[in-house]
Formats: sequence, C-alpha cells, structure tokens
Amino acid sequence: MAKQKNRNKRKKKRKALQKAPSNPRSNEKVLEVEELQVQFRTDEGIVKAVGGVTFNLSKGETLGIVGESGSGKSVTSLAIMGLVPQPPGRITGGSVKYRGNELVGASNDDMTNIRGNHIAMIFQDPMTALNPFLTVEEQMTEVTRLHLNHSHEEAIDHAINMLEMVGIPSASKRVFEYPHQFSGGMRQRVMIAMALSCKPDVLIADEPSTALDVTIQAQILELMKELQKEHGTAIILITHDLGVVANICHNVLVMYAGKIVERAESNSLFANPRHPYTLGLLGSVPRWDEQERETLTAIEGQPPDLVHLGKGCSFYERCPFSEEGCKEQEPDLLPRPDGGQFACFVDIEHAQQHEVVSD
Amino acid sequence: MIESSTISQPEKAASTGSGPLLAVRDLKVHFPFRRGTFFKPERGVIRAVDGVSFDVAPGETLGLVGESGCGKSTTARAILNLVRPTSGEIHFQGDRIDGLPAPTMRPYRRDIQMIFQDPFASLNPRMTVGSIVGEPMKIFKLHEPSQIKLEVIRLLDLVGLNPRFLNRYPHEFSGGQRQRIGVARALAVQPRLIICDEPVSALDVSIQAQVINLLMDLQEKLGLAYVIIAHDLAVIRHIADRVGVMYLGRIVELAQAKDLYANPRHPYTQALLSAAPVPDPVIESTRQRTVLKGEVPSPDKSYPGCPFADRCPIAEQMCQEEVPQLEGVQHLVSCHKAESA
Repeated sequence: MAKQKNRNKRKKKRKALQKAPSNPRSNEKVLEVEELQVQFRTDEGIVKAVGGVTFNLSKGETLGIVGESGSGKSVTSLAIMGLVPQPPGRITGGSVKYRGNELVGASNDDMTNIRGNHIAMIFQDPMTALNPFLTVEEQMTEVTRLHLNHSHEEAIDHAINMLEMVGIPSASKRVFEYPHQFSGGMRQRVMIAMALSCKPDVLIADEPSTALDVTIQAQILELMKELQKEHGTAIILITHDLGVVANICHNVLVMYAGKIVERAESNSLFANPRHPYTLGLLGSVPRWDEQERETLTAIEGQPPDLVHLGKGCSFYERCPFSEEGCKEQEPDLLPRPDGGQFACFVDIEHAQQHEVVSD
Repeated sequence: MIESSTISQPEKAASTGSGPLLAVRDLKVHFPFRRGTFFKPERGVIRAVDGVSFDVAPGETLGLVGESGCGKSTTARAILNLVRPTSGEIHFQGDRIDGLPAPTMRPYRRDIQMIFQDPFASLNPRMTVGSIVGEPMKIFKLHEPSQIKLEVIRLLDLVGLNPRFLNRYPHEFSGGQRQRIGVARALAVQPRLIICDEPVSALDVSIQAQVINLLMDLQEKLGLAYVIIAHDLAVIRHIADRVGVMYLGRIVELAQAKDLYANPRHPYTQALLSAAPVPDPVIESTRQRTVLKGEVPSPDKSYPGCPFADRCPIAEQMCQEEVPQLEGVQHLVSCHKAESA
C-alpha cells in the first residue's frame, strides 16, 4: 500500500519535473564576476592563481573556460563557490555577484544557502568527490533535506527521481548502494544528479567528462544539454578538451597564467583566434577527422611560474610572435570584431602573412 | 587458420621481406578471480585479452585504441612478459618470446622498451635524471663507464632536455619534461620497438603536442617501431600508420589509419567515432550522433556470440549465437554484418 502511494507520488513528481518551463537563452544575468583575484601563500612565495578575471553568465548559457593546468580555471570556480581553502588561499580582490548578491565575503550561512541550492558543482573525479562511507541515498538526501525541507521519505523519492532522470537503471534499488558499486560513468551521473537535485540556476562543471571514456562522455554531454534545455540552467564548463567546448559551449574564455587572454563566441573563436596562445592551443590538438597528417604546432616551453610573474605579457617567453614591447608592458583586453576580447599587442593575422612572405 | 591466411600475408608483403618485427598470435590473458563470501564463493575468469592477433613491421606505428577495460594495456604488458599470457604466441624477429624465463628474456628487453602513462609514478624519485637514463646502459654494458655520461647527455639533447639537468631529480620537472626523461630512458638501450601505454594522456594539450612530435621525430631519425596504446582517437589517428580497435579483449577492426577513420566498418568503431568530438563548433553542430546505450559489459562473462551484440544497433539473432572472426585483407573487421553495414 505504502509502496503504491510512494510510486504515485514519484510519478507526480516526475511529471512536475517534466513540466518545468523551458527557458531559452536570455540576457538575464545570473552571475557577474568582476576583477576576481585569488592568491595562495606557499613556501616559495605568493602564487597569483587568479589575477583579475571578469565575466558574466546569462541564463541558459554554456560558458567554456579552457586553459592548461595551473591557468587558474579551477580556482576561479572554487572562488565562485566560496570553496577556496583559507588559508593558504585568499580572495584578494574583486567581486562575485549571484543575481545581485555579493558572494565574496558572504557569511558561511549565506553561502550554505546558495551552495548546492542555487549554484551547484560537478567535480572532475567522482571517486574522490563522493564519500565512500555513505550510500548514495545518504549523500543525495542531505542536500534536499537542507534546502528543500524535504522529509526523509520525500528526499529519497526525490533522489530516485533524479537518478532516473540521469539514466541510472533500477534507481530505486541502486540509490541504497555505495559509490564503489557504481562504474565511473555511473558515478559521474550520480554527481550530476546530486548537483541538479535542487534545480540550481548555475551549474559549474569542472572537467565533468575528462575521466570518462568517449562513449560515456557523449552520453554525459547530451544529458547536460537536455537538462539545460529543460530548466534553463546556466553552465560553466571547465575543460581542456577543445572538442568538448566545440560540442556544447556558446561562449569561451581562454585563460593563461591566471588571466583571461581571449574571449569570444565559440564559433568565431575557433574560426578566427586572435591571441597567439589560442592559436597555439588549436594548432596543438590532433584531429581524428584530418585527411592528411599535419605536423602539430606545439607551444614550446612550459607555463610560467605564477610566483615570479614578470611585468610584461605572461605568454611572452613561449610566444612565436613576441616583440620587444611585450616584455615590458602587459597587454590590455582589446575588442574583437565579433564583440569578444583578446589581450595581445601583435596583430597575428598580419604577422602570419608576413612570415609566409619572408619565407 | 585465420591468423596465417589473413593477417600475416599482407604484412609480409608490406615489410622489407624479412617478416614482421613483432607478431602476436591469438594472445589470451585470463585472470582467475574468487569473490563472494566464504560460504558462497564465486569463481571465474576475467578475460582481459581474449584472442588478439597482429603484426608490427619494422619502423611502423601500430595504434591500439579502445575504452578502459578493453584489454589494450594488458596486451602491451603481455608482449613484454610483464603478465604471463594464458595462451597464444608472441614472436619477436621470428623468435618466440612468450613465457620465457627472465634471464632468457633479458636480451629481448633490450630490443623492446616501454614508455608508461604516468610520468610521475614511473620515474624513481630518488635517482637523478643522469642515473635514470644511464642505468639501462650499465645493465646491458653498452658503453665504457666513462662514456655513459656522454651518451646520457646525447640522449637528453635528443629528446629536447637541457643536458644541464643531468643531476636533477624527477620532482624538479614538469609532466612533459618527465615524459621526455621516460623516452630518453627507453632509448638508452637502442631498442627497435617501443611500446607506449597512453604516452600523452596525463599531459596538457600543448605539452601533448610536444611529446607527439618528439615521438614522430625519433621514429624518423632512428627507424623505431611503436605500439601505441591510447583511448584518444585523435592522438591515434595522428600518430599511427595502422590502427586496431579493441573491445572486450578482442580486436574488432584493424586497418590503415586513414582507411579506418574515413570508412569505419565495425558498428563499434562507428559509434566511437561518432561520440568523439571534433574541435570545430561548425562541424559539431551539424554532426549526427549515434550515442551508444549502456556501458562496456564486464569481461568476466563469456559470450556465445559477438561480445558487442548487446549494445550493437544493427545486431541480429545470428550475432547472439556465433562469434564473428576478424576477416579481410587490408581492412580487417570482425562483424557478421560488416558488409551490409
């Protein structure tokens, strides 16, 4: 009897979920990040992990943040969530506004209210992000009992609904299992289900598919797209895989050494990169659809040491187009013709043509 | 025999006439396991590699690609006798080397070297770069002791590391540089074949390209043959001459890289390629995807028919009952429906 009742309830819930209004992309800003700076104190000195990052996120938008490890993309997302470990980390400047509310320096209670409820996060490695001692049910219900004031039964029903939505078979049984009983792809689905339990406005996905196989990655990306279509969730996708960016992102930020070096709408960024680093990234990715083997244009050298950043452009040492002035002064963000921005003194299109002629 | 008629012949014709450098025939690696409780024990075998055959010609690059758990790493380890094959044969330059005891295997280890995935775990943190690269030379007594240092410097230079780093320790290097140390160590004994297990997957994109270019340069300079194992379809496309696609311990398709990517014939290869994104938003937005349902099943079961049948979009009754064989001349495929597909 009770089972039947539960099932009915679940069905109703599922209907309610499906009925959620479809929100197309709009200009409604949900997140505004301005001049965000994060530093870490280490034995070698102060690491300027994020050095002044500014961007907006609109409802229903997918924003890709790309860059190498150490470029500050993950720290940016942790700072938004208020999860930068303090100490050694510290947000030294700038602001993060969620629908007008300042999050930098907000109290723990305020952040708890927002975290998981309005802004949720999917971490790269689902094995370390899930607690191995707790069942999936215990971990999933914690969020909804806190934020949605669900009773225990309601919370379990909700968790089962969410697991069904992300495509976990026999969810009503599996919800009582431990993370190690799930495969990698399934664990990532559990993470996504957990992140979406409260239907957040903003979803931050830090390398959500990097640890997964291609076929599972395709499933997860499809799932994220569907959820966005249904709920109008704004997504920040942190990745180094340009293929994933091309697949799902509307807009792209390219980060290097803690700063944004180029931003643009996805199509025009791939078609017309203006910053030498973006150009280098695109040139160093092999493509499986290439007809003939072309030599990859690797970016020589290593990313710079974030403790001892010079006063000039941080890409100076690895840049094939660098000029004398680049070492002295840091380039500001200049407008791209398509409304994006790039931070470089050199007109690389001109420089490339010049190179060809002089050869 | 399928192996002899369909795999060896084209390779013999393609190589210099002296036969393949490495020949793997019907390799099987099974791991017995026991699980369950004391009172209700459950026994079985994991069929990690279940009948793999391929040849590698001198100077050629063979790529093995597949999802995690498809047996590509185990195949690599079995070639080097790091795991003992359950059955099958491995021939190196015509000599059978599978299951050789360690002392007899040793001379072959000089010819076959390995580069590992994780450049952080595969270098001894207590040895300097000089001793890491120099040790294999000492073991095989390749040079006069006084010459070893010079030789190490030459190798470091060859892989693009500053010879001044000779006395540094691995932790002082970045991931890409460590992978270069791993390459230098493999080259120290002048091998003819290098097996690379995910050589770039732990590296950043821009560094990945550096290491890929390095591996390809070295091949051109030294005439090395590679067996490269990776899950990244684009990396394999770029670096390999021929590609084998693995699924549940078997090669399901084996062909020239260009041919395989342009004209995949096994439904699994087709699904893999369809799932792999292309770094171009214009192409991405117009592509048709066939997203495979479910996941790779566990290799602890044996299948009466095609192991891919449960996930295959075009499977028929026959596929559940009869195991398909890897067949073809240049483009080998193991599928009952490959012709009609």
